Amino acid sequence: MTAPPAEMQPSIVHVPSRRRGPAKLVVEGLAEVLSRQRLIRYMIGANLKRTHTDTALGQLWWVLDPLFLMGIYVVLVQIIFNVGTPDYPLFIFAAILPWKWFSIALGTAAGSVTAREGLIRQVQFPKLVLPVAAVGSATINFAISLIALALMYVLFLDRISPWLLAIPLIAVVQFVFSLAVAIALAAVNTFYRDVQNLLGHVVRLWFYASPGLWSFRDHLQDSPELRTILQLNPMAPILESYRNVIYGATDGSGGLPPDFIGLGWVLLASIMFVTIAIVLFKRMEPAFAKVV
Amino acid sequence: MPRSSDASPAIEIRDLGIRYNLRLTRRNTLKQSLVGMVRHEGVETEFWAVRNLSFDVMNGDNLALIGPNGAGKTTILLALAGILSPTEGEVRLYGKSSTLLTIGAGFDGDLTGRDNIALAGAFLGIPHAVMADLAPQIIEFADIGPFIDAPLRTYSTGMRARLGFSIATSITPDILLLDEVLGTGDQNFKAKSQARIRELVTTAKAVIVVTHDLGYVTENCNRAILVEKGSIIHDGDPSETVEIYRQRVKERKLILESEAHRFAGPPPGR
Repeated sequence: MTAPPAEMQPSIVHVPSRRRGPAKLVVEGLAEVLSRQRLIRYMIGANLKRTHTDTALGQLWWVLDPLFLMGIYVVLVQIIFNVGTPDYPLFIFAAILPWKWFSIALGTAAGSVTAREGLIRQVQFPKLVLPVAAVGSATINFAISLIALALMYVLFLDRISPWLLAIPLIAVVQFVFSLAVAIALAAVNTFYRDVQNLLGHVVRLWFYASPGLWSFRDHLQDSPELRTILQLNPMAPILESYRNVIYGATDGSGGLPPDFIGLGWVLLASIMFVTIAIVLFKRMEPAFAKVV
Repeated sequence: MPRSSDASPAIEIRDLGIRYNLRLTRRNTLKQSLVGMVRHEGVETEFWAVRNLSFDVMNGDNLALIGPNGAGKTTILLALAGILSPTEGEVRLYGKSSTLLTIGAGFDGDLTGRDNIALAGAFLGIPHAVMADLAPQIIEFADIGPFIDAPLRTYSTGMRARLGFSIATSITPDILLLDEVLGTGDQNFKAKSQARIRELVTTAKAVIVVTHDLGYVTENCNRAILVEKGSIIHDGDPSETVEIYRQRVKERKLILESEAHRFAGPPPGR
């Protein structure tokens, strides 16, 4: 192997990826996302332009969708099962909006790498931007769907509380957690496309196991084991916090603060998950072009 | 167009090996993989598309990679582009490289032509300001008129190809990587696009082209490498390499024919 003259350094060197350690992969992944912000913005813009442009009501569906979903749950739980808490529509709406964000983020992120397979074999770009952009689009979607929440308050004026201002804080925690799951799913789905098929069912089951349609305050009082297990779910403190600030106390006596301690733990764990997910993704990334 | 070759390298390829894991292909489902893991099918599931490959591309080289289908030519090209990362060895590039592979893959049907230009530029990592400067030229060369502000799904195949070609050739790289010599669209655009390729070839410091068009190789290249089963068979003068390739194709054909005879049994009448 002849070394090049000292004044001639190669501008790019491609080496096997296993030569880089986990710390280096994380730094590399973060740098890629930061340096490709414009690409991520373009992709988010394209996603937003694409969704619902072919329907008569267009982007209005972002607001209508959660309202219809709420209607279905109200009919099912309150009318057919004849259970539910006071002001039940708002009670579940506090869970429907963030869960819709979560499930769209995971659903689009899981297929984000495979959807661009043609491009991956032709252009060298950091694939990490794909799941990040998917979560980004879902986040914008969530922000817009908050209009539906504003409409709901027309019916439940007395439940408006200053704690609503804490929504962005809860959203940040959810964003970091979603990002971790999204990045890992995007990588794994490239090799096992079953993931995408399975995901819809898993996310639905996950919703029922999370305090969305029900709450820890009113349910599972007599099964402490199940309670403990379900409380380990990172989405549990997130959903309970949303409900505290959006719906408040059951008796309508006012808004409640979010579960700061629970959110803190989820945030810490999520930052760790994101780090692990980036390492996993970056390890698998070199094989993407061989598989797709 | 033979060009004088100066001594400095544009690309150095050292002990390059690219391995495909056949267990992880798109057709695999979880079930098949689990079955594979249980059976410990470790040996046949790996495939080295290229291995122990070393060569230099010098500045001034206009190099053709030729060989039969599945020889590993495109794998080499993808490795030079950084799209496939090496399993072994390394690739050192002295300069900016760009690929002109099959075009228009990154397109988004719901975006306008103009938006797609911006998106493609962002995927290619071209700075926004540069892309904004290039956009008018790209639009002019693609020659798609007012359609540039219409969603891409309304385009004809020819229009898509023209836009893709214009974007892909809008930047002039130091190291140009070509997969097949492209000629897209109708006769009129074909002539225009071939002229553009020639222009890129002359401005680039080094060109590597993968092609089956042996006429192109002897006419335009100053060096050709014959690749078979991921290894270099011959590296040298284009007409010489092409001659060796033709010879080997003929020999293989004879072997295949004689084998076919064996399987078919003795010729009738004996």
